Amino acid sequence: MNFKEIAKRAETGPLMEAKDFLLKRVSANVLKLEKELEIRWDGKSLVNLDDGLADRCWQAGKRLLLASGLFSMNSGRVIEFSPEELEEALRFAQAELNMGQGKDSVTVHHRGVEDPRRPFVFSGPFNADVSEEIFVRLNEAFAQERIIDALFFPGYLKKLDGLVFRPTSGMSTRAAVLYGEWSREAVRRAGRPGMPIVGHAVMALNEIACTNEAWGLRASDPRAMVLISELQVDDVSLTRLAYYLAYGCPIYIAFTPLIGGYGGGPAGTAIVAAASFMAAVLLGGEIVHLGPQHLKYRQQTNMHSLFLASLANQAVARGSRIIATTSHTTSGRPGCRQYAHEFTALALAAVTGGSNVSGPRPAEPLGFNNVSPLMGRLFAEAAHAAAGMSRGRAAEIVGRLYAKYKDNLELDKAPKGAAFEQLYDLATLRPTAEHQRLYDELKEELAGLGLPLV
Amino acid sequence: MADAERIHARMRASIENYDSEEAAAAAREAVAAGVNLLEAVEKGFAEPIRRLGEAFDRMEVFLPQLMLGSDAMKAGMAVLGEAIRAGGGKLASKGLVVIGTVEGDIHDIGKTVVAALLSANGYDVRDLGVEVPASRFIEAAGSLKADVIGMSALLSTTMLYQRNVLELLRNKGLRDRYRVVVGGAPVTQAWADEIGADGYAPGAYEAVQLLDGKRAGWAK
Repeated sequence: MNFKEIAKRAETGPLMEAKDFLLKRVSANVLKLEKELEIRWDGKSLVNLDDGLADRCWQAGKRLLLASGLFSMNSGRVIEFSPEELEEALRFAQAELNMGQGKDSVTVHHRGVEDPRRPFVFSGPFNADVSEEIFVRLNEAFAQERIIDALFFPGYLKKLDGLVFRPTSGMSTRAAVLYGEWSREAVRRAGRPGMPIVGHAVMALNEIACTNEAWGLRASDPRAMVLISELQVDDVSLTRLAYYLAYGCPIYIAFTPLIGGYGGGPAGTAIVAAASFMAAVLLGGEIVHLGPQHLKYRQQTNMHSLFLASLANQAVARGSRIIATTSHTTSGRPGCRQYAHEFTALALAAVTGGSNVSGPRPAEPLGFNNVSPLMGRLFAEAAHAAAGMSRGRAAEIVGRLYAKYKDNLELDKAPKGAAFEQLYDLATLRPTAEHQRLYDELKEELAGLGLPLV
Repeated sequence: MADAERIHARMRASIENYDSEEAAAAAREAVAAGVNLLEAVEKGFAEPIRRLGEAFDRMEVFLPQLMLGSDAMKAGMAVLGEAIRAGGGKLASKGLVVIGTVEGDIHDIGKTVVAALLSANGYDVRDLGVEVPASRFIEAAGSLKADVIGMSALLSTTMLYQRNVLELLRNKGLRDRYRVVVGGAPVTQAWADEIGADGYAPGAYEAVQLLDGKRAGWAK
């Protein structure tokens, strides 16, 4: 399947209303498949231990995608796929991918369930609002953490010269140029000039504005697009894709299935997730990012989301060669213990399920620069510690971590933490003594729970 | 009385089975049988839709059921409303809300959940869809005589357009005519305060609480 065919079908496929697509093609089929293939959540497990359930989830995802297709929101048409097209796309999905340049180039792999290989770590500001004054320093602080493999979404520049601007304005294109330029400058300053930068400019046109082989995002940097929930694309996402494919950069496709939405609960939404992984590959995605949303909690470390991440990743790991990664969005914020408890719990569930990792970030940042590179390091260390761990062992530790934060899942109850400027000395670009102490204590605590941290 | 109770039960079942055609048919039977229609609204439709909203809140049912239940109620209420108005009566509503996702933003689900939950809780909701320009919010609010304008934005970049709606309302001298509430992932109370919105809700449940809580104070 090539992009030309996708783009054509977005103009010629069956015409229908979005609501009908979502209710009749997605929801109705999810309900049917849940029942027929006995895909259920037991109401208490945080980590899936049942290979049969993972395999049924993968089969259900296939059937869902073939029955529903992908909805093109702007044209109102459905991009449908045949079973042969789907099988071919899965057969030729890349199981490993190189990115970055020179001695800073790195390889991300498809991982299996309980895979002993270390997961690839995408970490950075993860689309947080970042001030122009410290954009370079903040990203440099992430890039200087050698354990982070790729600088992940260097942050939104939504305010320049004191002005908050519209996403389609000339100001936004100026911001996109600076985004590319300053991200490259940050990795250069950290001594990793070829470190891959996963980029995502605010509007499709701005993807071109931030691209430059000398000073901006390069063909060796993965570029991201996002599927719209559930199983939908729009003109903007297809436009991005057309450009990425023509430019030749690795393609990172994210999707955000909604627990409580059209897929129903965690089991039904895992079916939607499996279908979305396949849809991303059909679109040409090489790294596919699971970022589940939750209708009630609006973050990803609640028990529903933990189980979904565990089950959907196992389904993909066992059923395909797809390179998967999972985002880590928490209630707690950088600078507090809960932040680490949450991202470690999800990393254990995801990594033992066969995923790589992307994140972490707070679901509700307190304002600009609400990130911590040191917590990015701890996140990477926790993810590495999960390599080769059994799901049973992971489930025990996830249970203990979950007990620590489950009463503070609501975003207004979660600890507030602090911004980068309070957690780091901007002159030396080192954590403050207090933030370093928090890291040391957390590392000791996590080791005490049984994580083999190095 | 027995006939009325049987019809109420049929109406309730139509909501519980998410069946729009049956809801309209049950409503037509209520009209033909000459039962008290205001009582039929409460016992036949309002009760089960409230229960559905509560079950959704507990995550025992999900968005499709909530939407289909709301659709069934709307189908039945269209029949009952016409008959009640023809008899000189008036349907009780907590208020008319026009809701949409702002310009430049195609994200639909959050706004759809809020619309469905408000409908289930007694509000008359008109969903304007996604990528709604500021002028369209204001035109729709004017033509429908809305009480509340609700705006969703999922992106920190598109939430700026919420400010445009408020600015345009002020420029047209219409600001005091409507209550304006905002929501969406990047939206905060501080943002709502900054742009001069009347309220902010972080989620769908809170949107219902917000409107319920402020409704009396907002009475025109």
